[in-house]
Amino acid sequence: MDNPNDLLLKDISVGDAAFFSRMFTQEDVLAFARLSGDKNPLHLDEAYARTTRFGQRLVHGMLVGSLCSALVGMYLPGKRCLYLSQTLLFRKPVFIGDTVVVRGIVRAKSGSTGVLEIGVSITKDHEEVLNGIATVQALT
Amino acid sequence: MRTFSEIVAAVFKISDTEISDSLSSQDIPEWDSMNYLLFIAELEKEFDMSFSMDEVMTAQRLGDIRAVIEARGKKYG
Repeated sequence: MDNPNDLLLKDISVGDAAFFSRMFTQEDVLAFARLSGDKNPLHLDEAYARTTRFGQRLVHGMLVGSLCSALVGMYLPGKRCLYLSQTLLFRKPVFIGDTVVVRGIVRAKSGSTGVLEIGVSITKDHEEVLNGIATVQALT
Repeated sequence: MRTFSEIVAAVFKISDTEISDSLSSQDIPEWDSMNYLLFIAELEKEFDMSFSMDEVMTAQRLGDIRAVIEARGKKYG
């Protein structure tokens, strides 16, 4: 998606939802390692990762979590979004080559402040790998 | 159900013994514009009510906000 949705606060109701899917490549993991500084071998060293209980390299948890930013910044509410807070619970590992589905649903809306609470669930093969709550303000 | 004071304590990171209706943004270091928005949103969610824009903008002290909740007939603990 190249252009963000442009939802106004009045267009958004509790229960509104959005979803999209994303596959993680090796290039994504390398780029995130460079940007974040997290060059832990669990993400970058295949030989090392094989010795762990995971057996292969993991996608960084925060890289998976960054899809919450895409959800609120591009889909719900989209363009008029100001991030206030985000909680994340990493439930299962994501590996290079995996495709995940990101779903967000509006759980609460404050008409006076423009604050939205969005529940986020990220799944792989219908199993939840991450969940969290995004608190954003819909800008006027 | 959380009480008004519990929400104040959680959002503004103060102990419940410090809370009084006379406290304002001048008294609470964590009372900035962002935390105030989050505070109002938490109150609306917890007490199932809506503040008007005017009420949000004109409230100066915790007592002003508590008075709005009381006027709505909500039990705030």
